Amino acid sequence: MKAPWILVRRHLRSHWLRTGLTVTSLVFSLFLFCFLVSIITTLEDVVKHSATNRLFVQSAVSLFQDIPLSYQGKIESLPGAEKVSKFQWVGGFYLDRKNWLAVFGVDHEVLLDMYRREMDILGPDGKGSEEARVAAQKAIDADRQGCFVGEGVARDFGWKVGDRIPLGSMFFPMTDGTAWEFNVVAIYHPLKANFDDRQIFFRYDYMEEMLKAGRCTGAEGVGVYVVNVKDGHDSGQVIADIDGLFANGPQKTNTMTEAAFQALFVSMMGNVPFFLGSIGGAVVFAVVFSVINTMLMSSRQRTHEVGILKALGYTNGAVGGIIMVESLILSLIGGGLGVGLAVLMAEPMRVGLGAYFPTYAVRPETAWWGLVIAAGVGVIAGIVPALTASRLKPVNALRSEG
Amino acid sequence: MATMIDMVGVTKRYERGGQTLTVLNKLSLQVPQGDFVALMGPSGSGKSTILNLVGGLDTVDEGRITVAGQEITALSTGALPAWRARHVGFVFQAFNLVPVLTALENVMLPLNLQPLSRSERRKQAEFALEVVGLADRMHHRPRQLSGGQEQRVAIARAIVTDPDLVLADEPTGDLDRDSANAIMDLLRRLNDEMKKTLVVVTHDAVAADKARRVLHLDKGVLAREVNNPAPARVPAR
Repeated sequence: MKAPWILVRRHLRSHWLRTGLTVTSLVFSLFLFCFLVSIITTLEDVVKHSATNRLFVQSAVSLFQDIPLSYQGKIESLPGAEKVSKFQWVGGFYLDRKNWLAVFGVDHEVLLDMYRREMDILGPDGKGSEEARVAAQKAIDADRQGCFVGEGVARDFGWKVGDRIPLGSMFFPMTDGTAWEFNVVAIYHPLKANFDDRQIFFRYDYMEEMLKAGRCTGAEGVGVYVVNVKDGHDSGQVIADIDGLFANGPQKTNTMTEAAFQALFVSMMGNVPFFLGSIGGAVVFAVVFSVINTMLMSSRQRTHEVGILKALGYTNGAVGGIIMVESLILSLIGGGLGVGLAVLMAEPMRVGLGAYFPTYAVRPETAWWGLVIAAGVGVIAGIVPALTASRLKPVNALRSEG
Repeated sequence: MATMIDMVGVTKRYERGGQTLTVLNKLSLQVPQGDFVALMGPSGSGKSTILNLVGGLDTVDEGRITVAGQEITALSTGALPAWRARHVGFVFQAFNLVPVLTALENVMLPLNLQPLSRSERRKQAEFALEVVGLADRMHHRPRQLSGGQEQRVAIARAIVTDPDLVLADEPTGDLDRDSANAIMDLLRRLNDEMKKTLVVVTHDAVAADKARRVLHLDKGVLAREVNNPAPARVPAR
């Protein structure tokens, strides 16, 4: 189809304010769309990438009800349980309660083994290695106040191995009002997208010792036991075995796979994913009308030009094609910039949202969908003016004032 | 001399406010190749309608039109644009240049439909602008040109594809006397030197004086014909 495509570029440039405003509305709407969808996919990723051979044991009453320390030995005695670690969330924060962090008291002897597939220990060269893992294990075994910190939080606060870091705790505050103090013995790098790089793991036995000594206050017990299932054993059976062990109390348990546990967190957000998706959809829907309006205005002003082109011998398809291509280009420029901005901003957003969405990322398919939607907006916005222009009789178009 | 335009029993009606208006009533008209015809008549007499029909911009209700040996009334609406691109050049009263394009780009517009390379198109457009005396203004946009210059660009665009027929609808209507004379002289030159067949609609008796033949229309029929007119012999309107 022969068409004077130069007109597309010239019209977009000659009405720069209209073009700019429409592009800007597309940039913001596609950015918002990608951002909201990425929040949803980040939540989905957390669930999808969770291990199915790792179980979380919590109180049947609620996650915030501790279960007795005596349960650990009984769980470990089950044939399907390979390793068991306490996970006690202490509600930690650094310097200010705003900087709240995921700080857990854990069984340091087994943690690195249990999470071998999720985290690498970084050596002095900044690379993960088995030697670094062995060294980290030795270091934490030797230091009651030792802790492992994620590379994200280490980067944010400038921590390095050997640093002594003060941390406050909302659930286990020190009785003298001072902060807990830990020594950074290793920094870990997450090997899975859903594994938060802003966590801190310290020795549960140190916390237990402090509790017994009356140096801090807080409930004795454990929020969650994490259990690795032995190879060849059915997770479902192990779940039934664990919950069966404590069916008669004193505290009933609710055991679930890591995936189910993460899904529980997502479901605790209620219909937030649906809500976010709806906002994203509504924003895109609104911008369609904005671009349609732009294209209708543009084509109405060019009715006379349509007549000229037809008089010169351009076909209906060529005339409609110019308007359709202009609409597509306008939408793809705006959409492309919006999607590009969302991709470029993914890392700063991840840091900014760190406490809430530590694994925030814009998936490639989200970016592609953004571009497809932008193209769709262009087609929808261009179709009516393009058809109107192509159906105009040249003699009528030439009589118009436009 | 071969016939360039042959209109036989052409009727054209328009619907206006629920009424049917017969603009052309069984009009028959022949224009030989190489002729320069001025169509005159009061408003609504059907002058512009003839141009639209002969140029394939509009369709007849009755009758037959043959242009350069092709019966265009038998062509489908899909085939008309290609036919127009090959055989007809248009000049309009309001110049009808595309404002976002330069003079050169406006003149190149019809050439995009020809099987020519970009450099050939450019060369041909530059030549057409040279013919109308605007080679030094080729990179100017329409708003940077005077009315007379805009119309000369429009004429360059009309002739750049070397069409058989140039149709001009009130080409001097928006121009002052001097510019109007210059445009009519240019059209006459195209007829004399390039042997183009021209049909010009005008209200201007002085402009019509440049034509070889003046046809007066009234109420959709041919009322009078004047050959080799002089200004005194061409009544206004």
